[in-house]
Amino acid sequence: MEFLLNSMRKIDNDQVKEHAFGTEQSLEENLAVCFINPKDFEKLNLVTNLHLKISNNKKHVIVKVEKDDNVHDGTIVMPVSIWSNRLSEVQNNELLYKNIVVNVEATRDPITKFKEIIQELRVKK
Amino acid sequence: MKRVTCSGCSLLCDDIIVKSDGLFVSEVIGACLKGKERFDQVNAKNRITHPMIRKDGELKEVSWDVAAKKAVEIIKKSSNPLLYGFSNVTSEAQEAGIKLAQKIDGFIDSNASICQGKFLNKAKNHGINLTTITEIINKGDLIILWGANPAETIPRLLNKVLFSRGKFRMTGREIKTLVIIDPIKTASFRVMGVRDLPLIVEPNKDIDLIRMLKEECCSADSNPFEGVAGVDKGDLKRLLLHLTGAENGVIILGQGVIQPHPDYDLVEELLELLQMINERQEKGRISLLLMGGHFNMAGFDHVALSSFGVFGKLEFKCNQLVKTEDTLVSKIQKEDFDCSIIVGTDPISHFPFSLSSKLAQKPLILIDNHSTATSYIAEVVLPTSITGIESGGLAYRLDQVPIELNKIINPPNNLPSDEELLNQLYELSNSEGSE
Repeated sequence: MEFLLNSMRKIDNDQVKEHAFGTEQSLEENLAVCFINPKDFEKLNLVTNLHLKISNNKKHVIVKVEKDDNVHDGTIVMPVSIWSNRLSEVQNNELLYKNIVVNVEATRDPITKFKEIIQELRVKK
Repeated sequence: MKRVTCSGCSLLCDDIIVKSDGLFVSEVIGACLKGKERFDQVNAKNRITHPMIRKDGELKEVSWDVAAKKAVEIIKKSSNPLLYGFSNVTSEAQEAGIKLAQKIDGFIDSNASICQGKFLNKAKNHGINLTTITEIINKGDLIILWGANPAETIPRLLNKVLFSRGKFRMTGREIKTLVIIDPIKTASFRVMGVRDLPLIVEPNKDIDLIRMLKEECCSADSNPFEGVAGVDKGDLKRLLLHLTGAENGVIILGQGVIQPHPDYDLVEELLELLQMINERQEKGRISLLLMGGHFNMAGFDHVALSSFGVFGKLEFKCNQLVKTEDTLVSKIQKEDFDCSIIVGTDPISHFPFSLSSKLAQKPLILIDNHSTATSYIAEVVLPTSITGIESGGLAYRLDQVPIELNKIINPPNNLPSDEELLNQLYELSNSEGSE
């Protein structure tokens, strides 16, 4: 299903806090997460132990999903983090953090680990 | 007990009380959650208190001499360094960063260039006023949050501008109308009262709303025929009445508005709307306040302007400022750099993967006080004291007002301030001669 992804700063899912005080586990717990409207949660046949695979045409990320009435249907909100920024884009030399077209599907696969992303970044091309 | 200024965000609250014996801060009174976290960072478990360099893929603690030597080695090998960050440091450190960039022929830019800095020149071209917090407290009667969620990013902003009682109007919240325009019902909506106007726009439809407002502003009776972008015509009419009737209105702009779009420039369109409203207004005006997260995001432009007469990015060749069409993003995208010096920010987390993966391919020197995703990539990590707690200096509040930050306690291991460290790198790059 096609959605619009918006990343935003959230005080309870704050990367600065997690990096300063947390652990890798708490980082993943609080930042590898997305919020969707309950109607979309149902449409995607999600249950609490399933994760969401969010992809654009280049990358994907697997994160936990939570219901949030405040999120417009057809959109996904992610806290600003290394996970959301796997999907953010560059457009006309500017950074695009909002209204990114993504595809989503429910998955049983585990969430994308912080170390996996770092490892991928470190690989010399 | 001591009254200090908080460096937890760009609001720089100067009414924080701390209890300290000069060695530790034992109590912080009046700070928000972000401010408290800033003070807690002093003893954070991921605080970096020793310099580190990467050996066999792992960061290892080393002496200052070894770390500085490694950093200078990277700088000296480079002919095209990129310096980035500088919004979580004092203006003195920003000046030291620019001096270093000039010395090593680098390209330097701050976080503002991808955030509030984008507005500044455009606002100036349209003759739109940037207002101050004090002006909003004292005179404001309309506050519009457009794509901005201060409740979670600058937590005390609404307390100050919405609930404070003004000096020139003997009323406070009761005469201030709050309008929030956002596609998401953010935490900021929770402060809304019955006479406020919450407008949930359809995602990606802000442009339709702005164009409709522009049309209506041109007409004599301003009576919208239909709703737009998920806003019904009744609310649209109320919005128009507020915009055209406010004596001292302010639009607080957030990241939501500055997003690029291939077909139009939302910021330009919004500024044109404000220009039209201000021309039509007989007794009032609408001004702007730009949101920025880091405590001195506004400072870099001031320092660049006072040092070299230009806003934002600076590029040096042969120790001279050169004119460049490049931006931070284009430099990274084209891989037009051969090392980076990152100061007080975490681009590996903040940038899209297509950019952070390019940053990660080149040697990276990180100057910061706690672990971040960028420290997992860095070749050299140079820790510094926490500004506003362990070192002082000047910072510019989000409304461009300069505020002095003070040192409260000594840093662990006598960590240098960002300014001292950048000056040290400058001296080392200087003294070890040209190779």
